[in-house]
Amino acid sequence: MATLIRSKISSAATSVTNKSQAKVSGMFARMGFQAATDEEALGFASCDDLDYEHRQGLQMDILKTEDGGADGVGETDVEGDSHYQRDGTGPPPYTSKDDGMCAELGGQDRPRITAWEAGWNVTNAIQGMFVLGLPYAILHGGYLGLFLIIFAAVVCCYTGKILIACLYEENEDGELVRVRDSYVDIANACCTPRFPKLGGRIVNVAQIIELVMTCILYVVVSGNLMYNSFPSLPVSQKSWSIIATAALLPCAFLKNLKAVSKFSLLCTLAHFVINILVIAYCLSRARDWAWDKVKFYIDVKKFPISIGIIVFSYTSQIFLPSLEGNMQKPKEFHCMMNWTHIAACILKGLFALVAYLTWADETKEVITDNLPSTIRAVVNIFLVAKALLSYPLPFFAAVEVIEKSLFQDGGRAIFPNCYGGDGRLKAWGLTLRCALVVFTLLMAIYVPHFALLMGLTGSLTGAGLCFLLPSLFHLKLLWRKLLWHQVFFDVSIFVIGGICSISGFIHSLEGLIEAFKYNIQD
Amino acid sequence: MPNQEADSCAVFAGSSGERVVLLSQLQVCHGLPVRSEAAADPQRARIAKGGHRKWTDIFVQILAEQEVENLSGLSTNPDKDIFVVRENGTTCLMAEFAVRFVVPYDVLALNGIDLITEQAQITLPRGADIKGKCAATEAELQISWLKDAYTFRLFFIKFGMSLFASSRYSYARLGPRTAAGAAPPSAPFVFPSRAVRNAPNRLCAHFTRAALEVIEASTLEYKEEDEKAGKHTASSHHLSAFVTPKGRSYVCQAQQTLSLITSDHQKGVTVFMSDVQIQPFDIPSDFTFSDAYKCITDQREQLEETLPLILGIILALIIVITLAVYHIHQKMTATPVQIPRDRSQYKNM
Repeated sequence: MATLIRSKISSAATSVTNKSQAKVSGMFARMGFQAATDEEALGFASCDDLDYEHRQGLQMDILKTEDGGADGVGETDVEGDSHYQRDGTGPPPYTSKDDGMCAELGGQDRPRITAWEAGWNVTNAIQGMFVLGLPYAILHGGYLGLFLIIFAAVVCCYTGKILIACLYEENEDGELVRVRDSYVDIANACCTPRFPKLGGRIVNVAQIIELVMTCILYVVVSGNLMYNSFPSLPVSQKSWSIIATAALLPCAFLKNLKAVSKFSLLCTLAHFVINILVIAYCLSRARDWAWDKVKFYIDVKKFPISIGIIVFSYTSQIFLPSLEGNMQKPKEFHCMMNWTHIAACILKGLFALVAYLTWADETKEVITDNLPSTIRAVVNIFLVAKALLSYPLPFFAAVEVIEKSLFQDGGRAIFPNCYGGDGRLKAWGLTLRCALVVFTLLMAIYVPHFALLMGLTGSLTGAGLCFLLPSLFHLKLLWRKLLWHQVFFDVSIFVIGGICSISGFIHSLEGLIEAFKYNIQD
Repeated sequence: MPNQEADSCAVFAGSSGERVVLLSQLQVCHGLPVRSEAAADPQRARIAKGGHRKWTDIFVQILAEQEVENLSGLSTNPDKDIFVVRENGTTCLMAEFAVRFVVPYDVLALNGIDLITEQAQITLPRGADIKGKCAATEAELQISWLKDAYTFRLFFIKFGMSLFASSRYSYARLGPRTAAGAAPPSAPFVFPSRAVRNAPNRLCAHFTRAALEVIEASTLEYKEEDEKAGKHTASSHHLSAFVTPKGRSYVCQAQQTLSLITSDHQKGVTVFMSDVQIQPFDIPSDFTFSDAYKCITDQREQLEETLPLILGIILALIIVITLAVYHIHQKMTATPVQIPRDRSQYKNM
C-alpha cells in the first residue's frame, strides 16, 4: 500500500524525469549494465516499462500471456503506471507507450517529423485532385460556392483540432497528457461501458475503406489522364493504370512518415505549379473576365454534387492522430493546422473564382478541358505527377491501420507482427504491402464508374470520419469541460455533416443508378 | 468495265496501291434504270436463253441459293448480310458486311423559300438482288433493292506491283498499256505493264491495266418528290479501300466510312460499312473464305487488348523478383539476436 501511494506521487511529480531516466536505464539495460538508479521512485511500473522494452527489443515473447488486460484498461488511465497497481498485469497499454518509448530508445526506426513536414502531409490531403472541379461548382453555386469553400475550411480545421483534443486528458496537475494514440483508441474510449471494441472496429473499417478508395482513385485518375494525353498511342487506360502501378510499387518499402513527407512535399510543389499555370493563364485573359456572371442564386439540381466536392475535399482527419503523434513538437500542431487550412482556402478560392471568371458559362466539369491544348498537355503531366506523388500518404496510412489492427504480436491480433525484432520489415510483410498495391490496381481496372462509387462511400465514411465522429467523440469525452459555444459548434457540425452526408449519399446513388442504366442500354 | 445497263452511272477508277492489292470502287445509283430484261439476272438469262441446262445445274443453283440464305441468317448482327456471286457452279466472289448509307437531300422549309438539308439513313434490306461478275483481275458486285430503285456497286481490282517499281510509280504518272487490249481513251491512269520476273524481293510481278472505265458522272439532285426523281449517282474518286494481300480475305470489324461524291460537292453520300469480310478473288472452295487479313484498325485494337495482359505479367514478374531479392537480402543480413541468459540483473533495479 505504501508503495502504491509513493509510486503514485513520485511518478506524478516526476513523470518526465521518469521517462528520461527510463530512457537511460533502458539503454543501459539493453547493453547489459545495471540500471543506474537509486530511486525507488522509478517505480515498479517504470521498471516494468524497462523490462518490457528490454524484452521487446530482444524478441522475447514473455508477454504473450499478459495481453488480456491491455485493451480493457486503455481508456481511463491518466498515467501509465497506475495500471500496474490496478490489475497487476503489468505494463501500461502497449499501443501508445511502447511505440513512444521505443522511438525514444531508438530501437525502432521512427524518426519524428517537423511541423513543416506535417504541414506538407496535411496539404497533400486537403488540396487534392478535386480542385479541378471547383470552377464548375462556382458555375452552379455562385457566391455560395465561394462561401462554402471558406466555411468548409474553417469547419474542418476546427474538427481536426477537436479530434486531437480527444487524444489528451488532464491529469491531476492540470497537464494534458496524451493517453490515446489513434482514432481507434478514441472510438474505443467512447464506447467503453457497453461495447468496448465496437467503436474501434467501425472506425477501423471506415478508415480502411476511405484510405483504400483514395489510393484506387489516384490510380484511376493517373490512368485516365495519361490515356487522354496520348490518344494516338495504342495504349488503353488499363495499360496506363498498370504502368502507373509499376511506378508506385516502391511505396511498399515506406517505413515511416518522414519518407512519406518528402513525397507530400513534392506533391504540394506539383500542385502549386498547376495552380500557378492555370491562374497565370486566366490572368492573361483578365480583360475578358465576366464579373457579372457570378450568381447569387444556386442551381438546386447540380449544386448538391458541388457541395460534396467542396466539402469532402478538406478531409484530412484520418491522418491527424498519427501525424500529431509523430511530431517533434506537438504544440505546433494547432499552428500548423491553421496555416495549412488558410493556405488551402485561399488557393482554392482564388483558383475557382479566377477560372470561373475566365470561362463563365463554358466552364466544364474538369477545368483542364477548357484549357488550350498546349497548356493542357503540361498541366496533365503535372496532374499525373501529383496523383502519383499523392499516393504514398493514404497508402502508408492504410498499411499502418491494417498492421495495427490485424498484425500485432502477442496474440493481440489475428496475425503475427510484420516487423522483425530489429524493426525491419519481414519479407511476408512486404508481400502484403505489394498485395495491397496490386489490389488497388485491380479495383482501378475492373470497377466501373469509380468516381461515382467513391462519391458514394465518401459521403458515408468521409463525412463520418471528418464531421460526425469528431464532434461526437468530443462531446462524449470532454463533456464536462466544454463551454457552451463549443457544445453549440459541435452539435451544429454534427447536424450539418449529417445533412451533407445524406444528400451526398442520395445524389451519388442516383448518379450510379443512372450510369448503370445508361450502360445497360448502351 | 462497261456498264451493261442503260442507266448512265458514273464510275471512276481508283488505284494507288502498294504490294498486291485489291482495290475497290463504289458506286451508288438511285433511279429507275432502263435496261433489257435479259441482263437483269445472268442466271435467269442463261436459263431463258439456252433452255438446255441440265437439271443438275438447276439443282446446284437452288442449293447455292439456299446456302446463301442459310449463311445470311447465321450472323448475329441484324444488319449484316451476305452476298455471293457464283459462276460456273462455284463461288467466285463472297462478301458479307453491314452497310448503311447516309444520303443528304434538300427539303423545302416551312416558309416556302429556303431549302433545308436533311439526311436520310438507308439500310440494306434482306433479300436484295445480287449480281456480279468475276474475272481474273477484276470483279464487280452489284446489289440492288426495292425493285432496282437502289443499286450499290463495288468494283474490285487485283494487281501487283514490285517494290522496286512502287517508289517510282507512286501516283498517277503512268503510261498506257501496250499489250493487247486498248486502253480507254480518257483513262486517267494505268499502270505500266512491264513484266518483272524472277526478281529476288519483288512481289507478284505483272502489272495489269488498273483503270476502269471513266464515264462522266451525271448526278442530279436527290429529291424525294417524284417529279424531280431521276438518277442520282454518287461515286468515289480514286478510292483505295480494302487493301489486302493476294489470296486472303479482308476482315474488318471496325466501322469504315467511305465518301461518295456527287456533282454537288456539298452533298456526298456517306457509306458506313462495318463487320466486313470480303473476298473477290481466289476463293478456295464453295462458300469458304480464305485466311483473314485484318484491317489496321482491328490490328490496333487487338494490340490494345493484349497490351494490358503483357504489362500485367511483367508487373507480376517484377513483384515476384523484388520479393525474392528482399527475402534473400533479409536472410543474409539478419543480425543474431542476443538473449541475455543472466536475469539476475533485474533484481537490482
